[in-house]
Amino acid sequence: MSRILEAEPGSTMLLMGNEAIVRGALEARLSVATTYPGTPASEIGDTFAKVAEQAGIYFEYSTNEKVATEVAIGAAASGLRAIVSMKHVGVNVASDPLMTFAYTGTRGGFVLVTADDPSCHSSQNEQDNRFYALFGGFPLFEPASPQECYDMVKKAFEVSEELGQPVILRTTTRVAHVRGPVTVGEISVGPKKKEFVKEPARFVTVPAVARARHLVLLEQLSKAEQMADESEFNTVIRIGDGGRQGIVTSSAAANYTIDAAKGMGLHVDVLKLGFSNPVPSKKLLDFLRTHDIVVIVEELEPVLEMQVRSLAQREGLGTKVFGKMDGYMPRAYEFDQAIVTRGLARAFSSDQKETTRCELPQDLPTRPPVLCAGCPHSATYYAVNKATNKKALFASDIGCYTLGVAPPYSTADLLVCMGSSVGTAGGLAKVNDLPVIAFIGDSTFFHSGIPGLVNAVHQGHRFLVMILDNRTTAMTGHQPHPGSARDPCNPGAISVSIEGVVKGCGVKWLKVVDPYDTSATTEAVKEALTQDSVSVIIARRECALIAKRDEKGAIVKKHYIDQEACKKCRTCVTKFQCPAISSIDKLQTIDEALCAGCGVCAQVCPYKAIKEAP
Amino acid sequence: MVDVYLVGVGGQGIITASKIVGDAATLAGKKVLLSETHGMAQRGGSVVCTARIGDVRSPLIPDHGADVVLSFELLETLRALCKASKNTVVISSTERIVPLSVSTQKLRYPTMEDVEGKVMRTAKAFMQIDAPRVAADSGVPMSSNVVMVGALAGTGITGLDRAHFESAMKMNIRRDLAENIIAFSEGYRLASPQP
Repeated sequence: MSRILEAEPGSTMLLMGNEAIVRGALEARLSVATTYPGTPASEIGDTFAKVAEQAGIYFEYSTNEKVATEVAIGAAASGLRAIVSMKHVGVNVASDPLMTFAYTGTRGGFVLVTADDPSCHSSQNEQDNRFYALFGGFPLFEPASPQECYDMVKKAFEVSEELGQPVILRTTTRVAHVRGPVTVGEISVGPKKKEFVKEPARFVTVPAVARARHLVLLEQLSKAEQMADESEFNTVIRIGDGGRQGIVTSSAAANYTIDAAKGMGLHVDVLKLGFSNPVPSKKLLDFLRTHDIVVIVEELEPVLEMQVRSLAQREGLGTKVFGKMDGYMPRAYEFDQAIVTRGLARAFSSDQKETTRCELPQDLPTRPPVLCAGCPHSATYYAVNKATNKKALFASDIGCYTLGVAPPYSTADLLVCMGSSVGTAGGLAKVNDLPVIAFIGDSTFFHSGIPGLVNAVHQGHRFLVMILDNRTTAMTGHQPHPGSARDPCNPGAISVSIEGVVKGCGVKWLKVVDPYDTSATTEAVKEALTQDSVSVIIARRECALIAKRDEKGAIVKKHYIDQEACKKCRTCVTKFQCPAISSIDKLQTIDEALCAGCGVCAQVCPYKAIKEAP
Repeated sequence: MVDVYLVGVGGQGIITASKIVGDAATLAGKKVLLSETHGMAQRGGSVVCTARIGDVRSPLIPDHGADVVLSFELLETLRALCKASKNTVVISSTERIVPLSVSTQKLRYPTMEDVEGKVMRTAKAFMQIDAPRVAADSGVPMSSNVVMVGALAGTGITGLDRAHFESAMKMNIRRDLAENIIAFSEGYRLASPQP
């Protein structure tokens, strides 16, 4: 049984921020949870997947974040409590239903969890989703620790139901992926059924309804501001003797701030905001009036700073405000204690020993992430380069296969977001003479690749789409998707055929290949590129990590390099990439422990020096 | 306050190792914070976890601030030295996982002498453990991570009891617990101060 369910009320255990969110929700009469996986939010869904049946709630991995949000909206509009979780860029996908759901409001508590990723540890940008709270009009909670994740998700459901408005809980990587002690209470989930009471004047947003509901939203937001002013999550923490110097902070930045202020021996008051939209104006004004200097410490965008400066201006206050708009704090990347210490030292003119950032020696070999031994994407990219002689443009997408950007493959030239490969390939093909290939994973294809394909068929774009079908959502931890053979959360789930979808979109030329057969894949690519309309190749082979875990599906024939036959041409490392093959001082070897037995390297070697182990 | 900086390569079981440390500290009634690497970086890339035992809010360990660097791979030991100082004990597995940059670029994998020299100049002490061999001898070749946790426990630097570590192992290890306890014990013995 998962430790999430095991914990006795009143006990303290070590939980990841993401797990603490799940436990908190399960104690807050939750009925429905949905998600599309994405780092750093994935463990929320994965934890729900493990406990949903036993806890008695409904959970699904939805097709994308928009659909996940809409499923949760259906349940919450009926009156049940629902939670939907995603990474920060997932909210872009979900923003369409969200922006109008703020107008209809909700009957059951509705919490959207957005996990932001300052420093882009595993993301294509570091957008600050607190802006969505301001943009759409959502009450916003910003936990700084796993305990606060647990506490705030419970409060978020209460606030949501009291106001009848959807609420956002925003974490960052250093909150979602931190483990810390959490003291838990009693699990109490909500009912499974609730009849939707029809109320079109609220829930059907034709223009007349939308106009009326906008005013309701504004009214609810002013109530929310009162709640923020009274919230126990917005409190002053005194460091040393406090005094006339103050700091306003939130989320992970609050942790660095408090540790930095203590480490510097400052006497300062820290206003830590946990319920941060609408900003608690009364509390902030009171803080501004009782302090001469106020430093705003927040990661990424100056969301609090803009609002604090505007409040000070509105009230004609002379309090000095420092932040990132005047360069005291950086606007990019995640903070740490040293960064905050530097900023605070400047703002408070406090003498601090300058800490220099430790630089690593330049000659240390780098170790970026790579495609695994036996990865079918690696075989596909080898074949594509062979077929095109690298004379092609490659539209890439989000998944493990994005790692093809690195040498030796260099099979990514343009990437912006989930599902974008198919759409961008259309534009590339229209204005370029080189052949264009779009690479998209199976889960990403279902997520948002299909509209691009429909467009390409309809507009008559001419390029090749390669659907890299490894039967799973690999990068985020092997979650199921609509094409998966089985869904652990839903034993009756129907597997949607990718071939069926592709044909249904009107694609005339479709081929399914096994990427481990590199010559068949190479020939298929050559043939596809001669077509005068959009063509599709499904390169199908189960993720090597799954094949290894299940000990089936993989062709397990360990390989070795016959050193007498080896001509030291290094093709196995210059045209192909496998973590099991190393080339040091012109000696090429295969690490038998790492070898996945896919046999692709044996096809790559021009001298047949790579052989099956006896 | 005890700061443990765990480093290695994606797939070596570093997150599990840090969870064992974290659960052991929690069982001992101590406040602990862990941070970890997830997502794309895990695909064979450098992985960093931190365990901070004590009253602190920031999960990240400042430069030169680690009490222990627990490294699962020799090259990563060098990469971790920014967190080390003359107060740091470096415990490193002697395992080498050669990154692709060594095969494809003209970068050299450091020799044992390189590693020893650099660690000794930076840190207070350098302890080397042949973790893969110890794990294999214990009957669990995939459990180098458990050997390394045993070594960390054996130094006594964390201030946690052996019993807390063993209970924490039960919470985190699903298969071959008995063999893993042997692997842990051997790591513990190798790192224990000589009588």
